[in-house]
Amino acid sequence: MSESVKGFKFVDEVCKNPIKKVKELKEKTGRKIMGYICAYPPIEMLTAANVIPYRVFGDVNEPITEGDRVLPPVICSYVRSIVDLSIKGKFNFLDGVIWSHSCDCMHKGGFVYTSIVGKPEPYVLEIPTTVREGTIDVFKYELSEFKKWLENFAGKEISMEELKEAIEKHNKQRFLVRKLYELRQQDPPLISGVETLKVISVVEALPVEEGNKVLEEVIDEAKKRKDKPKKQRARLLIWGSIIDSPALLQMIEEAGANIVMDDTCVCSRQFWLHSQDPSIKTTGDLIENLARSYLLENKCPRIYLGSYGDLKKDYKKDLEERFGYLKDYIENWKVNGVIIHSLRCCDVHGYEVPQVKDYLSMLGVPSIYIEPEYDAKSLPPLRTRIEAFLETIS
Amino acid sequence: MSGKKRVIRRLESMRPLRAKVDQSYMDSVKAMQEGKPVAWCMFNVWIGDVILKAMDIVAVYPENYGAVCAAFGAAEKYLNLADSDGIPSHVCGYSRNCLGYAIRMFKELNGQIPPEAPLGGMAKPVLLLASSTGCDPRYKWFQLLGRYMDVPIWTLDTPTPSTIEHIMDEKYGEQVIRFMTKDLKEFVKFLEKLLGKKMDWAKLDEIINATIEIHRVWFEVNELRKAVPCPMHSRDFWSAMPPALFLAGDPRESVKLYQDLYKEVKYRVDNGIGAIPEEKYRLMFSELPPWHSLGFFEDLAERGWNFVIESWSYHPPIPLSKDLLEKIEDPLERIVRHFYQFITGYARETIKMGIKCYSFSAPYLVWAKDYKVDGAMLHPLITCRAATSHLYEMGEMLMRVFKVPSLVVEGDIVDLRVFNAEDALRKAEAFEETMQHYKDERKKAGLGW
Repeated sequence: MSESVKGFKFVDEVCKNPIKKVKELKEKTGRKIMGYICAYPPIEMLTAANVIPYRVFGDVNEPITEGDRVLPPVICSYVRSIVDLSIKGKFNFLDGVIWSHSCDCMHKGGFVYTSIVGKPEPYVLEIPTTVREGTIDVFKYELSEFKKWLENFAGKEISMEELKEAIEKHNKQRFLVRKLYELRQQDPPLISGVETLKVISVVEALPVEEGNKVLEEVIDEAKKRKDKPKKQRARLLIWGSIIDSPALLQMIEEAGANIVMDDTCVCSRQFWLHSQDPSIKTTGDLIENLARSYLLENKCPRIYLGSYGDLKKDYKKDLEERFGYLKDYIENWKVNGVIIHSLRCCDVHGYEVPQVKDYLSMLGVPSIYIEPEYDAKSLPPLRTRIEAFLETIS
Repeated sequence: MSGKKRVIRRLESMRPLRAKVDQSYMDSVKAMQEGKPVAWCMFNVWIGDVILKAMDIVAVYPENYGAVCAAFGAAEKYLNLADSDGIPSHVCGYSRNCLGYAIRMFKELNGQIPPEAPLGGMAKPVLLLASSTGCDPRYKWFQLLGRYMDVPIWTLDTPTPSTIEHIMDEKYGEQVIRFMTKDLKEFVKFLEKLLGKKMDWAKLDEIINATIEIHRVWFEVNELRKAVPCPMHSRDFWSAMPPALFLAGDPRESVKLYQDLYKEVKYRVDNGIGAIPEEKYRLMFSELPPWHSLGFFEDLAERGWNFVIESWSYHPPIPLSKDLLEKIEDPLERIVRHFYQFITGYARETIKMGIKCYSFSAPYLVWAKDYKVDGAMLHPLITCRAATSHLYEMGEMLMRVFKVPSLVVEGDIVDLRVFNAEDALRKAEAFEETMQHYKDERKKAGLGW
């Protein structure tokens, strides 16, 4: 690809074959590439170790065959897809892959991957379930252990100066992603849901510096371009399980909606820190800063958030503590409908569904629940339901 | 199976242990009527149970109650209520049963126990005790119960080693044990505030010691099952397990019942008495049994199938040395070390055997050899990921390492329709040839059985 290809054009080109681009980078720079499968591994450490972080995606268009041999269908199809592609050798370009205890399927998928697949070399990161001082210490210890393993893997020690520099670069990326999302606050949004996912997926396949450059170019171009998205009859937020392929978003946008915000794993959850200062601190104990930010400020339902250890429980207060951030999304992005999305067999989202729905009802925001498989073929039957939902809210 | 000849020789000493389950539900209802505190608990590998018992809180286990409702044919009503209230149908069947029960109890009956509930029902709780051990529903499900009842909740957070190196690393284990022990102390403080009474530490010490002793005897009972023919069938294991698994009853009294069980099983071993008349095949069962169709095992017993080991997550840990346990002054640390041994013990054994497997398959790889099994019956459940995720891996590893074949029979924990006993029996018949073939293969490979 020519150096002059920039912004959205660059994104479109890389999206066609991100693995090709990463292989080129590997060849050119000699850097190792580490896959990661969820938003909890601290990728700042990878950058500090001179390793390229690469977000591993499944493939909704590839039938799961080998994966079904080692993982039963009751395991979420996203995890089965990744194991399937691993057995088929699609990730052979990676030097290692980080699994994590982000949910039961991912955790046990990591164990099965270790015994049956084994290559690229896995690491399974343990993550506590609750957020309190004791669990932050546990996660800090876990991250120190991970750092040791990573240093051995990368063949170099990670200095605190390198880690600080890496955190700064990733903080810049968080800032730029927020700027990208701010483009969607306008009506009509300056960038569509599908385009956002494509940009993010390219950013997550590149070294942080290059990803930041892409973000800057795209933001600049989106502000100036004439062929921006058209105003549609609804402004939607999509909440839920992982979406790493544009197919679902494309179907929704083609049905007549602007997807203006998301609360999903590959996109906003990877970058959003829900604190006053939305960046990781670069002073003091950096490992502890990473542990705190990743554990406390990531709003994935796999973490037990909300009323805890209180003598009296109050459901409405509990919902506010857990989902209050959605109110900000809804107000700032002028959302008038929410798509609640849980992949079949995704427990952590499945249990959350009735409660998110309750919270949205409290806010007076209409919502619809969809439960597809991680498979492009499961999407067309949803279109009629989406259209009916758009009809009711517009 | 009524009217049909029973082939499995049931153990008499199992019966008082089985009776503890029914008693525990009646106790919970009585406790509620008397104004005593009741908690709904997830299976928590004993670390929370012992504390509740020492604080005189009566615990009931909605997971176990899911199996009870399935066995009594009462689950369908509760599952339908859960469905109609927007609970996704793909989440754990036990949880859907419990959520449906809660809808019935709190939305329809204003907190009263549903009159149709089997075994007197689950009493209204003052506490929900969740756990992060083993699966996500163990904490997400109780969080969702907040939709139906404003009851305080505590989650026992149990981070566990997730790499082979960490399983083998003593230092890693020590930091987990330190965290969990401290965390249990916080739980005690919370209960003291909730109930307005102090912990009786001497009583807690006794209960923890009795629990560990139950598990030691229970482990020894299962060791006896390595004998050929195997003296105790899986059905007796499942019937006898509640006082060891859920600590149903008073552990200080249950020790004696397990000692009686040991004596009866030992008598059978000493006299060459098997659990079935003619043991042709020795089987493992993984994981949760079809509670609603246990008579199925009688049909297999008639064919000479003896189930000699089963359901890892219902088993006690490999015992820690008495010397080590006696040196630990803090009873909470003692039960945490016991917990940690449960989580890591078999995985460590498997790794020592040179097998890179540390999922829930690990115990079966240890057992396959020790119990000289001819085959494994794998029971994937349509809504239980924890008990299903490792099954195909296990089948592959058993074949790869020990040339032991597996038979997959699908089912569910509460939905009776998924399990087809007739179809399973047809498959079983064909599987006998496979087991015979691999018996020969193992001999050729010098595997020893």
